[in-house]
Formats: sequence, C-alpha cells, structure tokens
Amino acid sequence: MRRSFLDVGRVNSEKLFSRRFILLLTALSILSLLLITRLYYLQVISYEHFDTLSETNRIKYIPTPPRRGIIYDRNNVVLADNAPLYSIEINLKEAGDIKKIIDSVNLEIGLTAREIKIFYKKKLKYSHHNSIILKSNLTESEIAKVLAIRYRHDGLDVTASLLRQYPYKKVTSHVLGHIGYIDKRDLSRLDKKKYKNSKYIGKTGIEKFYENQLHGSPGYKHVEINARGRQVRDIDEKSSIPGKDIYLTIDIELQKYMYSRLRGYTGSSIAMNPKNGEILGMISAPALDPNQKLWKLEIDQEQTAKLKSPMFNRATHGLYSPGSTIKPIMALNGLHRNIVSASQDFYAGPFFQLPNNSRRFRDWKPKGHGIVNLEKSIIQSCDVYFYMLANNLGIDKISSFLKYFSFGQKTGLDMPYESSGVLPTNNWKLKNIGTNWTDGDTVITGIGQGYFLTTPIQLAYATSIIANKGSIVIPKLNKNSKPIKSNEVLEKEDFLKNIISLEDWETITNAMYKVVNQKNGTAYWATKNKQNNISGKTGTVQVYQLSQKTDDRNTESMPDHLKDHSLYIGFAPRENPEIIVATVIENIGGGSKYAAPISNEIINYYLDKIKREP
Amino acid sequence: MNNKILGITDFLLFSLIVLISAFGLILLYSATNQDIDVVLKQGTKLSFCFFLMLLIGSLNINKLKTLTPYIYLLCLILLVVTLFWGHDSKGAKRWILFYGFSLQVSEILKIIVPMMLAWYISNYEDKEIEFKKLIISFIIIFVPITFVIKQPDLGTSLIILLCGLITLFLSGVKNKHIKYLLGLFLIVTPLMWKFFLLPYQKQRIMTLIEPASDPLGSGYHIIQSKIAVGSGGFFGKGFLNGTQSQLEFLPERGTDFIFAVFAEEFGFIGILILFIFYLAIIIRCITIAIRAKKYYDKILAGSITSIFILLILTNISMTIGLLPVVGVTLPLLSLGGSSLLSVFIAFGIMFSINRRN
Repeated sequence: MRRSFLDVGRVNSEKLFSRRFILLLTALSILSLLLITRLYYLQVISYEHFDTLSETNRIKYIPTPPRRGIIYDRNNVVLADNAPLYSIEINLKEAGDIKKIIDSVNLEIGLTAREIKIFYKKKLKYSHHNSIILKSNLTESEIAKVLAIRYRHDGLDVTASLLRQYPYKKVTSHVLGHIGYIDKRDLSRLDKKKYKNSKYIGKTGIEKFYENQLHGSPGYKHVEINARGRQVRDIDEKSSIPGKDIYLTIDIELQKYMYSRLRGYTGSSIAMNPKNGEILGMISAPALDPNQKLWKLEIDQEQTAKLKSPMFNRATHGLYSPGSTIKPIMALNGLHRNIVSASQDFYAGPFFQLPNNSRRFRDWKPKGHGIVNLEKSIIQSCDVYFYMLANNLGIDKISSFLKYFSFGQKTGLDMPYESSGVLPTNNWKLKNIGTNWTDGDTVITGIGQGYFLTTPIQLAYATSIIANKGSIVIPKLNKNSKPIKSNEVLEKEDFLKNIISLEDWETITNAMYKVVNQKNGTAYWATKNKQNNISGKTGTVQVYQLSQKTDDRNTESMPDHLKDHSLYIGFAPRENPEIIVATVIENIGGGSKYAAPISNEIINYYLDKIKREP
Repeated sequence: MNNKILGITDFLLFSLIVLISAFGLILLYSATNQDIDVVLKQGTKLSFCFFLMLLIGSLNINKLKTLTPYIYLLCLILLVVTLFWGHDSKGAKRWILFYGFSLQVSEILKIIVPMMLAWYISNYEDKEIEFKKLIISFIIIFVPITFVIKQPDLGTSLIILLCGLITLFLSGVKNKHIKYLLGLFLIVTPLMWKFFLLPYQKQRIMTLIEPASDPLGSGYHIIQSKIAVGSGGFFGKGFLNGTQSQLEFLPERGTDFIFAVFAEEFGFIGILILFIFYLAIIIRCITIAIRAKKYYDKILAGSITSIFILLILTNISMTIGLLPVVGVTLPLLSLGGSSLLSVFIAFGIMFSINRRN
C-alpha cells in the first residue's frame, strides 16, 4: 500500500497530527506573508494614491461666487445692483423623494401650482445645476418656517444669494440687458472654473458685453465634511474678487425722459454726444421689466404677446429705410462730385420720370415744389430733386459715398449684437434678390427708400458725423472705454474732413438748421422751443407702396401696420453741437408729426434741464 | 499553584490576551467616534468573557469533553429558537435576545463544531477515519450549518464549514478522502453559484472583483475600507485622527472593519506590532497543542490555533478587499459579544488543555 506524506496512518496518529498541523500552519503562514505584502503595497507603495482619495473624501471645495459689478450711469446713479434674496433650493443630488419635500414645503408656506410646475420644468431644463430654486424672494416668516422643517429633508435648503436688480426697470431694459440662468449653451463656451457655483450670466446688453468685467472671480472655501456631507469645520478660505463696476455714459435723467416720450410707441431713440461718442440715452420701445423676468423666472406670455417684440433691441437691431433723413448726405455727395451746386435752380414737378419709362416717382407733395435749389429741397424735403440727383449720381457713386458714413457696417458700439444694415449695390441685389440693379432702384435710393436699410445707431452715428462736419467718433456706452479708430475709420475721417470742403458741409448743415428754424421747414411747426438752435432732418418711410395713379396719401385711414415710419435726425446747438438725436417710430405717420417733435424736445430737455441746471 | 486554580495555566498567553483585549477597547473608543457608552458596554461583556474563560480554564478537560455533546445539542436547540423567534435585523434572523443581551449562536458554532468533531473522532479506540465516520462527521458539521444558511448567513456558514474541515484534517482524514472532497468541491461550487446563492450574495462577490462598478452601493464598503488602510501609510494618522473613520466614511467601523480603523490610525508599523502580538499568542497556542499528550487535546488545541489564525486572515483579507464581506470579526478586537464569547471559550479550552500537560 502506497503511503503518502499526508496519510502516514494509524500507526502513529500523533506523528500524522504533527505533520498535518505543520502543513496547515505553513499554509497559513504563507497566506499571512501574502497579506502583509498586500498591506505593504497598500500602505507604503500606494500611500500617495490612497492619501489623495482620503483627502478628496473629507475635503469639500466650495467655490464662493463673486459679487457682480454694479452698473452706474454717468453721474454715479445705480442702474443695476445686487440685493440679498432668500430662496428655497432643492439639491437634486442629495434629495431623496423630491415630491415629498415639495409637499411638506407646500404644507408649511403654501406653493402655487405654477411655482411647482415651473420647478419641474427647470429641473428638466437645468439638470446640470446641482440645485434648483423652488421659491424665491421669501419673506422672513417663510424663511423661518422652511428652516424649521429643513432637518427632516436631505437636500432641502434655504439659501441667501445676491439677485440682480434693475431699479429703473423698463427704462434701462434694452441698454443694460439682463442676466439669466446659465443654460447649456452658455456652459459650453464659458470658463467653467470661473463660473463654478455661479447661477447667472449676462444674457443681453451691457450685462452681456461686459460680462467678463462684471462677473469677477470666484473664491473658495475648503471645508471638512463627514460621510453624510455635513460640514464639520472650515479648513481654509480665499475670498472671491468682486466684479468690476461699470460706469455708463447714459444720463439716467435723460434716459427717463426719452423713455417717457417714446412710451406707447414702437420704435427707438438714441441721444449721443457728438464730441466723444458717449451715448447719453438709448431707448427701444416697447420694453419689459427685467426684474420681473428674474424673480418670477418666467415672463407672462400673454402680456408679452400684446406688445410688439419687446425683447428686440430696435436701437441696434431694428432695420429701417432711412427715408428723407438721408437727403443731407445725398446732397453732400452731389456737391462733392459737382453733380449739383448750391445755387443751381431746378424745376421739381409732382413726379420724376426716367427716360423711356412710364413709371412715375411721385413727390410727397402732390402738386410738386416748383422751382427749388439744393437748400430748399432739403428744407422742404423735395423728393423729385433727390430722384434727379440720385439718377445723375448712379448707384456706385451713391454707395461708395454712403460707405464713408459706415452704412452697411457695424458702428462699433459696445453692445453684444449689432446689425450691419444693408448698403445697396448692384452686387448686393444680385446676391440677395437675384436680379440686376435697375435705374428705378437708384432713383428711390435717393430718398432713402428701397433696399437701403439702416439701424437707429447707424443713423445716430451718421448724424454725429454731420454735426461734427466730418469728424468721426465711435459711439460708446462705457464711460471708461476708449474705442480705438481703425485705419479704415481714420481713412474715412480723412476723406470727410479734408477732401470734402467745409463750404459743402456748411451748405447742408445750414439747410438742416432751416428745416427746424425756417417757416417752410418740415420740422418748423413741430418745434415749439427754438432757443437751442436745433438743426435736423425729418423722414417719412413708406411701408406700403401706393398705387401709381393716386395722389392721395390719406394715412390716417390706413391699418396700423401699413402706416409710415416716422424718422428724425437732429443736433444742437448749431455751432459746436453737444447732442445729436436719432429717432425712429414705427407705423405712425410722418416724420414731422412724431419723430421730430419728440427728438427736439429730447434735445431741449438735455440742453435746458440737464446741461444748464446741474 | 495559585494560577492554576484560577484557570490561568499559561501566564504569558493570559497576559497577551488581556493586553490585546484592553487595546481593543481603546481602539473601539476611536472607532465609535469616542462613544464611551459603547466602550463600557463592551468592557462589561469582556469582563464576563474573561470570567467564563477562567472558569473553563479551571475545569478538567475531560469534564469538558463529556459535556461536549450536550453543549452541541443546546446549540442546535438555540439555532431552532433563532430561526423561529430570532431578532430580525437587515433582513436576517441571526440573534436571540434575552435580558437586553443578544446572542449570535452561529458565532459560537465556530468553536462548538470543532469540539464536537474532536469528541466524536477521539471516542473511538481505532483512530482511523473510515467512510462511515467521515459521513457522521459531515452530519455533525452540516446540521448546524443548515440552520445558519436558513438565517440566512452564508459567510458564517462557510467559516463554520472551514473550522470543521480543519478539525477533520488534523484528526487524520484519509488522503484518498481528501482528494474526493476536493473533487466534489470543484463540482459543487459552480452549481452553488447558479442555483443556491441569493442575489445579494452574488453581488458581494462581484463587487469584490470590481468594486468601482458600484461605488455608492455594495462596492462602497470595500472602497472606503481600502482608502482607510492605504491612507494610513507607514506611520498612520494617529489615534483618533483617522479621517476615514472619524468622519464616518468607513462603514461597520466597530465590527467587521475595525482593522481598517487600526490600519488608518496606526499605519503599517502598527500592523507589524499587532501581528507580533498575535504571533506571540499563536506560538503559545502551538506550544500547548504540541505539548498535549492526549489525542483529543491535540486535535482540539491544533484546531483552535488554526481557526484563530484563519479568522484573523479572513477578517483582514475582507477589509482590504481580497475576500467578500462575509461578516467575520477580528478576534479580540472587534465589537460584539458573541464573537468575543467564542474566542474566550476557545482560550478557556486552551488553558484547560494546558492544565493537563
């Protein structure tokens, strides 16, 4: 019988026990050694790794969001600041049964069905946020009630934060823009480190354009937490750096006045200092109260629907034919190219006709103006004169000259978006409309109609060049910014100041002065107070092409959306102008009836109430 | 000798046990976030266990031997009681409650089953273990295990099985039979996995293989425990300074994962010192086993020594993620009355065996 090491047998059971005992102990010793090796590996070789993991476990990094910079007007009046706001937040990661939390909050302070609905909507939309606000703007008693039940629900918290406030509400709405919840699109392009724990970001206007300065840098706090996430103690802290304050060129008193004048209309008005490009006031109407949007976190759709695109900033985006407000520049072009001279008389009948063409380009004055010269045709806004002038200039000469006033280009205003408008050329029409430019197109361009589209800010910019007789200033909203003129702008300025003669400039500015101050001027009757020597030009833009045969333009009986746009550009005083204003009012009627009186009152208000009464 | 009357037949072994148990209380103070009440309660249990150990130590080993089948039977009865009237906790009935104390019978089986086997095998003059004896031995092992599996507590069942097998191995099971058993094991294991294991048990084994697959679920224990051990480093974070344990990232700190608390606060160097103390105890036990004259004494002393080592190794392997979390405590250090009871009964037996030498 074969006997193995293990099975020595009954003969010597004691010996068998000893052998097996030794065998067992040896096996266990080997296991022990392996275990010690493993422990050595964990504790000595991988120490760094596990130490890091242990620190990550215990130390929580809490970024502290910075205070957003305050926005002031030119006289240090606060236009946007931060107010403490208490909100109920639910942390999605810590919360268990969200419905249960909402139910017990509802029991304590009462939530509206709308608040609950909005919460769930936000929960879907902003799932990348750790916590979602259930209710904001809590009263003290609400805070106390929620704090009392907080311990029962993980993830329920009352947080204090700073909320943006815009004390002037609708008045500054489009200039300042507003901040809003960081959405997924913002998230993809912002510096995540800087926005850790930030909930809001500038969405439009100054808030967006100067986001980098206004936001500031977050600080942090390292706290020790236990396994349940409760903070045990603070370890260290670095305070956040508040965002930079922004001082605007806006004068809130003028802004308020301008808003009051445009209230109820749809349109835009811009006031600017032609000496330095400072925007003194900038209105787009209608407007919404941005505070409402922030607090309720949703705007009342019904109320918004009644207004005409209140979110749309017409000052920088609205595209309008300049209408007759372009006539001074057209006249300057004609003088510069010697197509017309200041003294030359011209017979202006009721309409203009191209050779071999039956189409009648009508004047706004049914009987025509009769004998006019350049000055008179600006003062009375004679259309036929400018049809003739445009036809003689041709579209190439027109658009190359308009380029000097930066039509078809952005002005460089410090706003996040700006439309370039449309500078009509043959190429443009081929590309965008698909047909060749016609002489008829040129003729109507002469009175600022047709394909030619400008924004109010472009009109203001061009008006400042006229007021400065060729000097260019880049419009700006930030008092401390110093816009640099590009070489292109410098070249344009050189042309406008040095190539165009002062005499030509004076011819058109004198005519503009007479528009307001001479009895036959289109803005004479609209301007009651003429002490400030305002110069200006009215414009009426036809939205609807009337039949060729009618002479009658009875705008009063037309439906609103077909009514003319009312435009006006103006500046004052005559010598050394201090303010220019450009105003567009949509679908209302003639320029001399609406835009002119409003603009001139704005000019007077600024010069009389703001400049002279400190 | 005075010592022998008191039941302390090996003074060095006794001192080592006192030392480690006392240190266990200090460690428990840290593991429970300085909860002195828990420590005092454990101290009370410890005193009782010491008393019981000395009582057993002062008994004649023959008397213990004759009592063995009755104790075994009592345990079976208690298992039935557990099954029907046991205390339900986390979905398992493992405890009997009486007068404010809870008893986990399955813990005591770790020592009672080897005792019963030693009694059974040594009762025959013929020392050879033939097939019939082997079958009866297995019945002795599997009857209580069946109850434990029912609780359900697969981990403890396996440990009891191992304890029984150690005794069988030491008492001289034939080489041939060992081979058969190994073969059987290889066949049965995959079948067990397929038909027998409950989902949570499978989960435990799966997380062992890849703890990161479910870091907040069943892998959490293993991950946090490994972090605790690893971040202890060579010198440890210091007593009461283990962040993993003090800030409660480590689960089951007092019981199953007490070793992680120790490793975090005392480091690799502390572990080596602890091992030296354990080794000293083991060497004393081996000496007692080798010096024992009677067959029964030898097998039992050898079994107790091996089981003691096995429990230490199992607990530590579990703590550092080499074995599934089977609920094995660290002898002399872990919180819990029942495991303490079985360890001290075992040492009482060792003292008793030593008395005869």
